[in-house]
Amino acid sequence: MGEVELSCLAYAKMYLHASQFPRCSVNGLLLSSSPAGGDVCITDCVPLLHTHLSLAPITQLALTQVDAWCSQTHQRIMGYYQANACVSDSSPTPCALKIAEKIFEQCNNAVLLMIDGEKMFPGCRVPPIVMYERKDARWALKDKHTIMLRQWEETCAIVNQLFSSGDQALLVDFDSHLDDITKDWTNQKLNAKIMELISPANGNV
Amino acid sequence: MLSVSEMLKMRDKLRKWREENYRNSEQIVDVGEELLNEHASKLGDDIWIIYEQVMIAALDCSRDDLAWTFRFDAILNDANKLYDSILQDDPTNTAARKRKISILRAQGKSSEAIRELNEYLEQFVGDQEAWHELSELYINEHDYAKAAFCLEELMMTNPHNHLYCEQYAEVKYTQGGLENLELARKYFAQALKLNNRNMRALFGLYMSASHIAASPKVSAKVKKDNMKYGAWAASQISRAYQMAGRGKKENKCSVKAVEEMLESMQITMS
Repeated sequence: MGEVELSCLAYAKMYLHASQFPRCSVNGLLLSSSPAGGDVCITDCVPLLHTHLSLAPITQLALTQVDAWCSQTHQRIMGYYQANACVSDSSPTPCALKIAEKIFEQCNNAVLLMIDGEKMFPGCRVPPIVMYERKDARWALKDKHTIMLRQWEETCAIVNQLFSSGDQALLVDFDSHLDDITKDWTNQKLNAKIMELISPANGNV
Repeated sequence: MLSVSEMLKMRDKLRKWREENYRNSEQIVDVGEELLNEHASKLGDDIWIIYEQVMIAALDCSRDDLAWTFRFDAILNDANKLYDSILQDDPTNTAARKRKISILRAQGKSSEAIRELNEYLEQFVGDQEAWHELSELYINEHDYAKAAFCLEELMMTNPHNHLYCEQYAEVKYTQGGLENLELARKYFAQALKLNNRNMRALFGLYMSASHIAASPKVSAKVKKDNMKYGAWAASQISRAYQMAGRGKKENKCSVKAVEEMLESMQITMS
């Protein structure tokens, strides 16, 4: 399987989501706005749940709504991420495998991303992620060298900036949306803030 | 920076709070953090017990950044030993017992936590918090039948709590099959009766009714009834989102997504 690029926007929101609920398991969907076939870029993500990840109704609801939103915005669901509550164990849970499987049915280069909580401390040099791809009817670890995180240091700086400005609190996941439906699970506001922080970096490259 | 006498005062405060079992976690973290960051070398033997005290208080306040600094796992093990010694002296100390179980959970030792909680509940059958904790553990382990049992206990003793009804319904929905779906629908409806703003219950009612109506195994009457329930739920959802979206540009996306979902499920039902 080819390279997978993880955008700053997607990474930042996943990281923020895991940080917002440090003692819960959290999960979400990975989206791509690049056309199907060839190399893949995870351009965005939607944080979903921080409670009862293994219960069906809300997961199904979220998948349906994200699907609807994707078709409106020319994106597609191409992966799933999860951070386990138990930090020392970043292996995919049965629930993670199940949802990733469902996504794979619709997208044959789907990826499963587990966040490695043990590497989520400030100053860590390595991205705290473990990626799996579909190979020979099972989910196999993806070769680290085929996972691209362009401008990794800038990405870390942007995440730190979000924490220092307090903007990390803007993140809304689907669970929070259900608690208060005036909150926007597509995170338009936060996305805009992150994109603002990204553009000066691009200008320097 | 503290003077030596101020530092000693703080250390004594922490000791007092420890001995008298105060749960003023915020204060403990504030005082303890400064003490440990600035004066660790002067604390002598007290340092480890203060680490544990601050660690546990930090967990209480969800100060997990602090938690990482203090080497999570090692401190949990020490805290565990502390609780073991408390329980040796006073086996009826339920707080210590429950904290031990939380530690097991935080360490990912679910089966042990479940076993301990079950033993605890045999003695303290009225402890709501413990029943709820156990239901959460079973849900994480995908043991939905046992989770349902815990939630049934909770619903019996708390018949007005809409959250327990709604969670029970979610578990039933997850177990699947027509009978469970019908139970789910009933309990989602019950949750709504208790709290008509519970969006999870409203969506749950919509989805379970729609699935029942779409099933080839149901009679025409059941199909018709469930389509009615589904349609009612859909209109309530629509209304709630219209009201939420009023004047807020950023909700446009979520409102549109819901509308499209409701439309697409209508098509599959008819």
